[in-house]
Amino acid sequence: MKLRERLRSGAEIPTSSMADIAFLLIIFFMLTAVFATTEGLQFDLPDDDPTQLDVQPEEAIHIKIIGEGQHLVDKTPMTLEEMGGYVQMKMQQNPEKPVIIQTEANVPYFVMIDVFDLLKYLEVQNISIPTQSEVERWKAFGIFE
Amino acid sequence: MKPHRVRRIPPMIPTASMADIAFLLIIFFMLTTSFSPEKTSVELPQSEIRTEVPRDAAIIAITEEGIIRFTDGERPSFALGTAAELGPLTQEVVRWIPDKEFLIKADRMVRYELIDAVLEQLRRNGAKKVGLLTEKKIGGSV
Repeated sequence: MKLRERLRSGAEIPTSSMADIAFLLIIFFMLTAVFATTEGLQFDLPDDDPTQLDVQPEEAIHIKIIGEGQHLVDKTPMTLEEMGGYVQMKMQQNPEKPVIIQTEANVPYFVMIDVFDLLKYLEVQNISIPTQSEVERWKAFGIFE
Repeated sequence: MKPHRVRRIPPMIPTASMADIAFLLIIFFMLTTSFSPEKTSVELPQSEIRTEVPRDAAIIAITEEGIIRFTDGERPSFALGTAAELGPLTQEVVRWIPDKEFLIKADRMVRYELIDAVLEQLRRNGAKKVGLLTEKKIGGSV
């Protein structure tokens, strides 16, 4: 009996789909990546000393934020643009002039950031952001209303 | 003269090295990705002026619902009950690294009183440097 000759094919691993798998993984990693925000507005906090007043409020520009687009600059209502002009004018007279940002409790955060950003844009050197307790303390000193 | 017969090879694109390239890209992305301990998703306020903040800073995240989360920059973040709980945590961080930067990653719609409460705790407990994380302002100028 004549034995049929077996057809021998070389052993191999199918690798053609490897690229598909790898690209799928790349796409998965790219879509699930959360990008870390590493930029923002920076400032220094004053020391916690109740007897010390870093900013003399009567010399400063006092910005009170009472709502979205509602600001009292030295007790005068102003828009963001008007505030920009006013602060710039004051800065030309005295570049060291401190600016106090006081924000009401119920105002959204971004309104305060808009004002802070504007002051940074105008290159104001001394920006003071007192907390509510500091404002109370200044009131107690009688130099803030 | 007998003409030389041209042998025809079917055209093909070599794809064997495709997987190598793809895996190389995966390894590249995995090595260059920096993992942040704070992954809370918030809609940050936008600003024109932005400066680079240190990557190892402590982060205080505040969501739109007013939930405060804290991380010292190394361990994963955890939720706090009130802003007052931030006090001892700040003290602990400042004791080891006195000029550690604290970043506030707050949603743009958060009521300012929460930010105020956080700043108050940071100031009282010896934090020196604070950063407010923002996104790049798209369109429009200040």
